[in-house]
Amino acid sequence: MWLKLVGSLFIIIAGSLLGFNVAARYAERPRQIRQLITCLASLKAYISYAAIPLPEALIACTGGAKGVISDFFLKTAAILTKCGWLTPQEAMEQALQVPGLVLEKAEVELLAVLGANLGAVDRIEQEKYLNMIHEQLQQLEIEAAQLSARNSKMYRYLGICGSLTIVILLV
Amino acid sequence: MGLDVLFKIAGVGILISVFHTALKQAGKEDMAHLCTLAGFAVVLLWVVQLLGKLFTTVQDVFKLF
Repeated sequence: MWLKLVGSLFIIIAGSLLGFNVAARYAERPRQIRQLITCLASLKAYISYAAIPLPEALIACTGGAKGVISDFFLKTAAILTKCGWLTPQEAMEQALQVPGLVLEKAEVELLAVLGANLGAVDRIEQEKYLNMIHEQLQQLEIEAAQLSARNSKMYRYLGICGSLTIVILLV
Repeated sequence: MGLDVLFKIAGVGILISVFHTALKQAGKEDMAHLCTLAGFAVVLLWVVQLLGKLFTTVQDVFKLF
C-alpha cells in the first residue's frame, strides 16, 4: 500500500516536472529572442559608430547583463579571441553549444547569416544586414510569444494529467 | 468486483476531458480527438473484461453448458 502510494507520488512529481519544464522552455524562447534583439541593436551601434574590433564589440553589446544570450555573445567573443583563424560564423556555431539556449532552427539560421556577414562587408552593409535580422527576429518573437501562450498552459496540464492517468492505469 | 473499477473509469473520464480541453485550447483538435479515442479504448478494454466475467457468471448460474 505504502509502496504504491510512494510510487504514485514519484510518477506524479516526475510527470509534472516534465510538463513544467517543457512549458518553461516555451516561455523562455520569446525572452531569449528579445534579449538577442537588444544585444544586436547594441552591436549595431558599436559597429556603426564606435567601430571597435568584433570580439570587443560582442563583449560590449551584452552591456554586462547576465543570462544565456549574453553568455552566448561572450563565448563567441572568447572563441574569436582565442582562435583568430575562425570566421565569426564558425565561432557562433561553436558558441551555440551554450547550455540553456532554447533558440530554434529559424533563429539559428538567422544567426548563421549574421555571422557570415559580420566583419566580411563594409559598415553600411553590416548595418543593413543587422536591420534586416532585427526585423526578422521581431517577427519570430511575435510568433514565439503566440506559440508560448498556446502551448505552455497545455504542456503543464498534459504533464499533471498524463502522470495522473499513468497512476490510474497502473494502480 | 468492487467499486474500484468504477472509480478508475470515472477518473480516466475526468482526466481525458481535461486533456481534450487543454489540447483543443492549444489548437490541436486532431490530437484532442485521438486522446479521447485512446481513453475510450482503455475504458472499453476494462468494460469488455467485466462483460466477459458477466457472461461466464450467467452461464454458470443457468448452467447453459
